[in-house]
Amino acid sequence: MIEVQNLTKSYGGITAIQSLNFKVNKGEVVGFLGPNGAGKSTTMKIITGFMAPTSGRATVGGYDVFENPIEVKKRIGYLPETPPVYGDMKVRDYLKYVAELKGVPKDRMAKNVERAIEKTSLGAVEKRLIQNLSKGFRQRVGIAQALVSEPEVLILDEPTVGLDPKQVAEIRDLIKELRGQHTIILSTHILPEVQATCERIIIIHRGQIVAQDSLANLTNLKAGQRRVQLKVRKAKAQLDQSLSSVNGVIGVQAGAGDQDWMIDADASEDMIERIASHVIQKGYGLLEITSAKADLEDVFLKLTYGSNQAATELEQGV
Amino acid sequence: MSKVMAIGKKEIKGFYLSPNFYVVCFLCAAIFSWVYPNVLNKFAMALQTAVYQPDMPKQQLNIHYQVFLPQLNILNLILIFVVPALTMRLFAEEKKLHTFDLLLTSPVTSAQIVAGKYLAALSAIFGLCFLSFLYPAATTVFAHLNWAPLIIAFLGIFIVGAVYAAMDIFASSLTESAVVAYVLAVIFNMAVWFVGIGVDVVDSPLARQIFEHISLNQHLMALVEGTIRTNSLIFLGSLIFLFCFLCERVVESSRWR
Repeated sequence: MIEVQNLTKSYGGITAIQSLNFKVNKGEVVGFLGPNGAGKSTTMKIITGFMAPTSGRATVGGYDVFENPIEVKKRIGYLPETPPVYGDMKVRDYLKYVAELKGVPKDRMAKNVERAIEKTSLGAVEKRLIQNLSKGFRQRVGIAQALVSEPEVLILDEPTVGLDPKQVAEIRDLIKELRGQHTIILSTHILPEVQATCERIIIIHRGQIVAQDSLANLTNLKAGQRRVQLKVRKAKAQLDQSLSSVNGVIGVQAGAGDQDWMIDADASEDMIERIASHVIQKGYGLLEITSAKADLEDVFLKLTYGSNQAATELEQGV
Repeated sequence: MSKVMAIGKKEIKGFYLSPNFYVVCFLCAAIFSWVYPNVLNKFAMALQTAVYQPDMPKQQLNIHYQVFLPQLNILNLILIFVVPALTMRLFAEEKKLHTFDLLLTSPVTSAQIVAGKYLAALSAIFGLCFLSFLYPAATTVFAHLNWAPLIIAFLGIFIVGAVYAAMDIFASSLTESAVVAYVLAVIFNMAVWFVGIGVDVVDSPLARQIFEHISLNQHLMALVEGTIRTNSLIFLGSLIFLFCFLCERVVESSRWR
């Protein structure tokens, strides 16, 4: 449905994205993940035909976004970073206006507006001026606006920003509900959001794709490895050297506190047992030992901030 | 076409359903209501004394010259400053509030966007001209007058307003700040009058002719006197087209910039 080839965009001297290549199939939900300023919004703007790439091409439904922007725009519902709402319009009037702009036929207009209001639970505020609505409601009006033309492709730039936890859950449910009927790309830097909604993830960093795969494959990136968290009574013990001698331990790093350690080890069954008995024998005073599964956060930090070391530092900082 | 209408309708509602437009209309009405009766009164007195002054030029006894022309001059002055205020938000504000993203990601062409907004601006100018037209129209209660030249005169000022609107939406499309758009637009509007000064400073007859032709004054005066000249209509029409076209180019440029 969406195909991006060698997409590059530079603003003046700054390269925002560099030779991106990816493909999104019909009905797929793809999460676009990356730290702030990675180039997520730029990529999305190019796919919507909002701005032109410096080089490379993007197609939506077989139409080139630069050569045939009108055909592409007919197929796309786009929620930009700032919801494009007019403060001096009422919610229902605004949605009707967007439907007219998107060329929704007259006989389907009322039905589509109704459906968009219902899906984003805006019924209670439909007769109010948008400027009087809270940020969360405006965001929902923005999502309703993207849905109102029932587009084949939905592009949502940080759809849950500014929403309260209940609304976030509702939007996630909505995205899950839309899966299959619409092809969805959503960008975010909130990881649980991706875990909850997306089938496939594209991680982008400094304008380049650093990983693209299914959620399951990405979190098993370190297949055959496991991470063990350890807490000992003796602070600042020289654990790293002594633990490295244990069979199967790959790496040892200091954890968040003086007493915490993170151990990467192979996935053999008795690994935890071996580490525990080593710690007890050496008299470090075992307080806690848990097996931590590498999650998306680890993968993300590792891919975007480089080494594991940097990732740990960042975690400590948080 | 339906998309032009959708955009136009939304902007027209933005004008006619907002208090700001009515505040402007009220202030214009206040100025007219102050000036028009005074001018009319002076004209009536001049008519009474005309009996004793047989050598008085005929023009001074014509209500079109003595009453309606000052009214149109005031309207023109008002349009120079009010049209920018009406049009400044059409593009600048959309850019600032990021609602322009919606237009640019909708299946509408740049020409449709400009046309919709331009039509809306015309409707607002029509409203102001209509308001001003009510005063001469009300004069029919006391006097018998010729409708045709009066209507042509107001058509003339409406077309000049349309030229302002075209220049001013172009000014609005250039910037994100409504204030900058306003100042730029006022300067554009005044510039088309200052061009006429060129007639007095150049010597070559050809240059004089050119300056005479591009000066709005010449074209407006003909219309105000009740004569429709095709060269005026073509000149004013091409000015409108030129600035709408420039505006369309600016909107289009945001797609590839």
